[in-house]
Amino acid sequence: MPQDYVLARLLANNSDWAKDVEKDHPGFFEESAKKQSPKVLYIGCSDSRVPESVATMSMPGDIFVHRNIAKYPISIPLLPLLQFHLFDDNALSVLTFAITALGVSHIIVAGHTGCGGVQAALDTAHPPPDFQPPADPLPRWLAPLTEIARAPEFEGGPVALTEANVRAQVENIARTDVLKAAWAAANANVDEDVDVQVHGWMYELETGRMRDLGISVGKADVS
Amino acid sequence: MSSRQVLYIGCSDWRVPESAVSTMLPGGIFVHRNIANQFHLDDDNALSVLAYAVEHLKVSHIIVAGHTLCGGAEAALAAAHASCPPPPPSGPLARWLVPLTEIAREYEDLTELIEANVRAQVNNVAGTDVVRAAWADNKRKLQVHGWIYDLGTGRFRDMGISVDGPSKDDVL
Repeated sequence: MPQDYVLARLLANNSDWAKDVEKDHPGFFEESAKKQSPKVLYIGCSDSRVPESVATMSMPGDIFVHRNIAKYPISIPLLPLLQFHLFDDNALSVLTFAITALGVSHIIVAGHTGCGGVQAALDTAHPPPDFQPPADPLPRWLAPLTEIARAPEFEGGPVALTEANVRAQVENIARTDVLKAAWAAANANVDEDVDVQVHGWMYELETGRMRDLGISVGKADVS
Repeated sequence: MSSRQVLYIGCSDWRVPESAVSTMLPGGIFVHRNIANQFHLDDDNALSVLAYAVEHLKVSHIIVAGHTLCGGAEAALAAAHASCPPPPPSGPLARWLVPLTEIAREYEDLTELIEANVRAQVNNVAGTDVVRAAWADNKRKLQVHGWIYDLGTGRFRDMGISVDGPSKDDVL
């Protein structure tokens, strides 16, 4: 099949990127395989246009992290439309690996403005005229979020629902067996600094700013 | 070039930096990453991403990307050739790797397994109702590709296994 212009462009950009990285960080790729495992698990929406530098800077408890690609966190499922379902082996396998094999200390759940999944859930919960609900699996996937949007106590539009969504996913992660086990071990550890913290962030596409929602949970919350 | 013409399905591995993916298209591409770049046919997570990308974003390209030194593939290879039969998988990570372990029974070499894995996931994606429906629409162009990211060089390689329609043997 003749190579499409789009693909040619992707590969050309990749080549440029690789050259730039090698120029700015000589030996980066060669050392890649030996790179220290990351301490951050970043869970974002598939639609995220968050620049990596935003996600890697100003980590709680860290001194300013230099814009060093080598410290990039494990970038993970980029859950479609940011859902962490408690029965989802896809996300759970990543979470399990990140905690038990890599020993991450921070898990960031990051929502963003302009989320198509949030809008779809809002529209399903409060259909506008002529609304055509999508076929499964999307409604199935978004069912928990749609329930939040439908709840009588929920007020507000897309931004409010996005924040509620981030909060709900932080809570879901805190309920997993793997987190509970990690916190139990951390609380039993004599070293007070050993912890796994789950944070909820919001990325604003319009301003490029990442905001901490201030809903972090760690071992102290369950001890 | 408009953004989000491309759906990228890759591995969560942190040694494949996000910028390797995000810099490929300035407007950003739609991304799904999981352990060992799998596309399981019963996985609502990946299926939702695919449905959204194909039906709402109307992407023209889906790239399934494996990478060298994949830990998930290594684990599957070890499990497939373990001298004692392994216990039934318990826990999400072990369950997640069952299909890849099945593929790994036919391979001894990690690189060959990584490539076979990409081929299998391309087939899985191509077999979905979502993709077949897009192909049934003659006005629509949609291609599924298999790529490999080389950790040692930072470069993606097209495996040349792209599909742009159902195979002649398929009955729609």
